[in-house]
Amino acid sequence: MPCVKRRAVFALALALIATVGASTSRALASTTPEGRAGQLLRESIDAPKNVSYVGQLETIRFSSNHANATIVRIEHRAPGMTRRWYLAPEALYGDYIITRGSANYQFDTKQSRVTVSHNPSLDSQIAANDSMSRVMTNYRPVLARNDIIAGRPTVSLILMNKYTGERVMRIWIDQTTHLVLKKEEYHGNGSVASQTRFEELRYTNAIPDGIFATEAPAGYAQVAGHDFAMPSSDIERVIRDAGFTPITPKSLPQGFALVSGDATTVNGVRTLHLVYSDGLRGISLFQNATGAAADFGSLPPHIIYFENHDAQYVEDGPTTLLTWQEKGLHFALVGDLLRNELVEIAKSVVP
Amino acid sequence: MTDHLSSELLIDYLRRELPPQDDALVHVHLDTCTACRREYEVEASLTEALRAAAAREEVEFPSLVAARVWEEIRNAKPSPLARIAALWRPLVALPVAAALVFAVFLVGPMSHSGPKIAASYYLEEHAAQQAQNPLTERGPAASHFIETSALDSDTSTELADEADYGVAATGVIDAVR
Repeated sequence: MPCVKRRAVFALALALIATVGASTSRALASTTPEGRAGQLLRESIDAPKNVSYVGQLETIRFSSNHANATIVRIEHRAPGMTRRWYLAPEALYGDYIITRGSANYQFDTKQSRVTVSHNPSLDSQIAANDSMSRVMTNYRPVLARNDIIAGRPTVSLILMNKYTGERVMRIWIDQTTHLVLKKEEYHGNGSVASQTRFEELRYTNAIPDGIFATEAPAGYAQVAGHDFAMPSSDIERVIRDAGFTPITPKSLPQGFALVSGDATTVNGVRTLHLVYSDGLRGISLFQNATGAAADFGSLPPHIIYFENHDAQYVEDGPTTLLTWQEKGLHFALVGDLLRNELVEIAKSVVP
Repeated sequence: MTDHLSSELLIDYLRRELPPQDDALVHVHLDTCTACRREYEVEASLTEALRAAAAREEVEFPSLVAARVWEEIRNAKPSPLARIAALWRPLVALPVAAALVFAVFLVGPMSHSGPKIAASYYLEEHAAQQAQNPLTERGPAASHFIETSALDSDTSTELADEADYGVAATGVIDAVR
């Protein structure tokens, strides 16, 4: 019996030490600048689940030689309903998109059409947690100069790549609600890849239900849009499903890892999609063994030559799509990286 | 030859139309006969006056006009028929034909008469997967950005219509999950 008592006391002591240790480390983490920055980053990611607001959001996405800008009026009701109503560019003016969980309802007012699509990645908590874990592994959040955005005081965080020391992203977080009010993404050479910021913002819980109504208005046709697949982390199974032996890159920017994949039939072509990410940035490598090249349609491609390949590329804002063929496979590499960075990855896609 | 030269003979001499032997005799006589020499000079001046008068009556294009005419001639494009005809000249046609055969040999295996995959599909799929990243602007904005980026060529509607990626609206995007 005394032995049992001693064991119980020992276990209690251990539990007490563990509890005190954990709370101390948490306290230390939140008091050091880096700990506070990490805590702020986590809170900013969760903020849209907790605060409702209306505002005006401006986004500029920069290509290598031009930029695309959009202005949307945004209404968000926590945790997962958002309406984005386009004010600019003129071609999109009046169109709006309602997001409810993983479903998107895209209202095209010019063609009186509602396109319904689903993207399970939008509300996948597991995927979000995995991404957050990669962010904390590959990036160091650093507190930067505070600023006033949309009339509200913010705390600014710079996310530095731990391997290269490059500044990859900067966010301005509302000091009170922790909502991200401004975000800038940077290329490896320091140039701004995109900027998103609130121009107006008002927190409110009084957004009428009608704002998020998804029923098609009278005279509108409802059509089925694209149902995006939830990529699987079981890469071996995905590759088996693809039905051919893929080639994967031998060289990736530091911090990037193969995180998921998906095998899909598009236009009768079995296509493998491999997703690489470092938490903040992503690369998609598509390949097929059917000889199906990319159809650039109205996006005129540029020609680029590397390693005996005549490749083609197009830019969509900071996103570049590079296509080429190798050993009977057709490849498409997409990423928010500089073109030469993508070419370096493409060069390493060899057997 | 008489003591003095006739007007007809002097005129022929001036125009260098006499046979060589007669031309030489006239030349010698003019050196020694002052009267004939005077007559010769009268005929010579008259001939010169007539030439000058004729030259004055000639109408020439102003240099600027002439330059423009020549420029037009140099820049004039041959008619399509003339171009086709030129292509079939053996010296041109043979190398062109050889180049075409070589190009077909090279490009043949790469030609894609079969199915293709729309570039917008790749961009949208990538954007959809990017939504996993915690700081990505949520929602389907990416597909709209794709449309916006094509606005320069006024093709946003066409891209929107390509939501089925160039296949039937029933969709063949057969996701394997």
